[in-house]
Amino acid sequence: MKRISILCTALLIVALLFTACTTTGTGDVKGSTDTSNTPAAGNKDQGKSSEKVEIKLSTWAGSEEAAELQAIIDRLNASSDTYIITQDSNPADYETRLTTQLSGSAGPDLFWVSAARGAQFAARGVMLDITDRLSKSDKPAANLDDYYESAFGPFKVDGKIYALPWIMQPVVLYVNQDALDKAGIVIDENWNWDRFMEAAKKLTVDKNGKSLGESGFDKNNIVQWGFTLNGWPPVQMFIWQAGGEVIAEDFSSSPIDTPEAMKGFKFYRELIDSGVVPSQQTIRDRGFDQMFRDGQVAMFMGGAADSLDTRVENFKCVVREVPAGPNGTKATFVDLLGMGINAKTKYPDAAFEALVDLAEEIHKWKVMPPRKSIGSTENMISLHPERKDAFPAIVNSLSYSKPYRFYQDYPDWDTIFWNQLMDPIINSDGNPEELVPKVKPLLDETLK
Amino acid sequence: MERYMGTFVRWLLTPVGLFILGLGLYYLMRLFRWEKQQATGLALISPWLFGFLGFTAIPIFYSLYLSFTDFSLFGKEKWVGLGNFIKLFTNDVEFWPSVRITLSYAIFTLPVGVFGSLLVALLINREIKGIRIFRTILYLTAILPDTAVAIIWRQLFNGETGLINFFLSLFGVNKIDWFGNPKYVLPAFVIISIWGIFGTNTIIFLASLKDVPRVLYEAAEIDGASGFRRFVHITIPQISSVILVQVVMSLIGSLQMFTVAQFLRPTTQAGLFMNQLVYTRGFTQLHMGEASAIAWVLFVIILVLTLLVFRTSPAWVHYETEVKDVKNAR
Repeated sequence: MKRISILCTALLIVALLFTACTTTGTGDVKGSTDTSNTPAAGNKDQGKSSEKVEIKLSTWAGSEEAAELQAIIDRLNASSDTYIITQDSNPADYETRLTTQLSGSAGPDLFWVSAARGAQFAARGVMLDITDRLSKSDKPAANLDDYYESAFGPFKVDGKIYALPWIMQPVVLYVNQDALDKAGIVIDENWNWDRFMEAAKKLTVDKNGKSLGESGFDKNNIVQWGFTLNGWPPVQMFIWQAGGEVIAEDFSSSPIDTPEAMKGFKFYRELIDSGVVPSQQTIRDRGFDQMFRDGQVAMFMGGAADSLDTRVENFKCVVREVPAGPNGTKATFVDLLGMGINAKTKYPDAAFEALVDLAEEIHKWKVMPPRKSIGSTENMISLHPERKDAFPAIVNSLSYSKPYRFYQDYPDWDTIFWNQLMDPIINSDGNPEELVPKVKPLLDETLK
Repeated sequence: MERYMGTFVRWLLTPVGLFILGLGLYYLMRLFRWEKQQATGLALISPWLFGFLGFTAIPIFYSLYLSFTDFSLFGKEKWVGLGNFIKLFTNDVEFWPSVRITLSYAIFTLPVGVFGSLLVALLINREIKGIRIFRTILYLTAILPDTAVAIIWRQLFNGETGLINFFLSLFGVNKIDWFGNPKYVLPAFVIISIWGIFGTNTIIFLASLKDVPRVLYEAAEIDGASGFRRFVHITIPQISSVILVQVVMSLIGSLQMFTVAQFLRPTTQAGLFMNQLVYTRGFTQLHMGEASAIAWVLFVIILVLTLLVFRTSPAWVHYETEVKDVKNAR
């Protein structure tokens, strides 16, 4: 009997310990710094009126970006009666870590999410459906009419919204203006593929100062290439400019074999073959964007937020729009990033309030915000005067930009597209005309 | 500080909890009339046992279960029977290239790893001045993290400034795009595997070489045996059991190639190593069922090859006990 009672006591203690050890889940209640304030009405998840809840935010921000974000968070925390946002920023293997956390019950309340991952999470119910909350909120960042139409693409499933976009980064053309001036190249409204190729050839210069195509040009001693690519910028952009698509609007097939799409692939291949682009080995050895920064590449396509126009010091770098397609069609890829709420959060109302407030502040911080009211050229210049020359091109680019057609299993499609089609085209002189018929059935299969 | 308090408390409570659990287990076993000594033994190893169950055994069997399901990490698993395996074997463009490069890598790196480290061990087994410093320097390679090793090798393979292409250029070989040309990806990784011969394997071989009785060499010398014959007829048989262990461990290690390949990111046309494919399927594509199926195929490959090595071992591994048995039989 004594033994049984000892055993029972031991088991009870263990059970108590395990209860104590069990994670409290997302969010904790914090004492408010200002006890005179009361929480916003209707917040059913609020405990006592004098308490704020902790909203944990996960981001991939590096140290510099995290410091800037923290300044924003500090301001929001000071003015909010509802929440205290605590930042956990770590770029190392962010998506894997976040996915693992969310699959358990240790995930953050609020988190940054890429478009591809956002589409996966939205379709799987990982993120909280915020549609109704958005419609009821009167905060500016909750006004859906103010967002660009394509901004919610990856974060929307069956008409329900699961995340707020906080940045739209259209691909723009960064050019070495000194090199362009020297070659006598002017980028105007007739900037298209032919003009782009012509400029790239003129800007590909050997050590004797001769351009590609000139007699005596030494292709073994090139000191400046006209352009660069290594899978980036995405071929989709060129296909859109040619009037084609890679995923049908109804997600039923992958029309990469249409004449328009083939034009895009062939132009991509032509850029590689023409000699205006360094070899892939040279790009790997010297660094992709580093070659542009070092003046070894004259034109570089990058995201608007890359801000090379303010970061490059060796020459005058300016921002221009990417060239239009053969028929004058303008299109560029836009990278979307969003912020979602963990569907398992203990404080959905406070997390939503934090989400909307934080989105509003980030929209004023980042280039480009996904909102029309903030994203006008004039307003962007007033927010970021150091980039005043860049905004006309960036804002114009945003007007015709579009993201990929993300869906629940987009990485399946993307893996095939990249590994079976683009990698051979880029690294092994793959011929699009031979590869496309082989790869299309595989891509169609992933869409079934 | 406040935000880490919970973690700190749990860190303190875990050993206390495990201690109490061990105590509970002890009394439970005693209730079932176990010997005091046996119950104490079980209680003492119980922290490891619980850890093993929670972090190894249960996840292993759970992954086996997952390999028969469609599971995205979120929501419920959906039973698909052999569906994942059938898809892998019949309708997966990435699977067979992945198996091919993983097996090829293992086949090429196994002799390099085992015999390379044996040769290095023979070199540092010599009693010359300052040998301890050499041993320490050689072992330093083993304590570097794989990512750092990958960075070093990326520099060595650099087409323009890398030492490897420079060395080859002395023989008139043109610049090789090691990670862009699928033909050279496997050779590049085999060359990288040379790094592994200077680490733990060498130390184990060194220890085994030290264990070979000097008297055998002395007897052979008196009989006029050359250095090579002493190596073949004394050293190799004497350390053959260690060679067996090294072959098995190197085989398993090479089949589980991941970090360096993931970091160097060569052209995908060469195929992804199987562990990379597991990672991509599981954490990028969120097909944890397929990822588990690939992991189990890899496990079976490792198991079959390891058994094969063990089955051939009586033909080439020499055990001291065998000699004793012969003597006893007489």
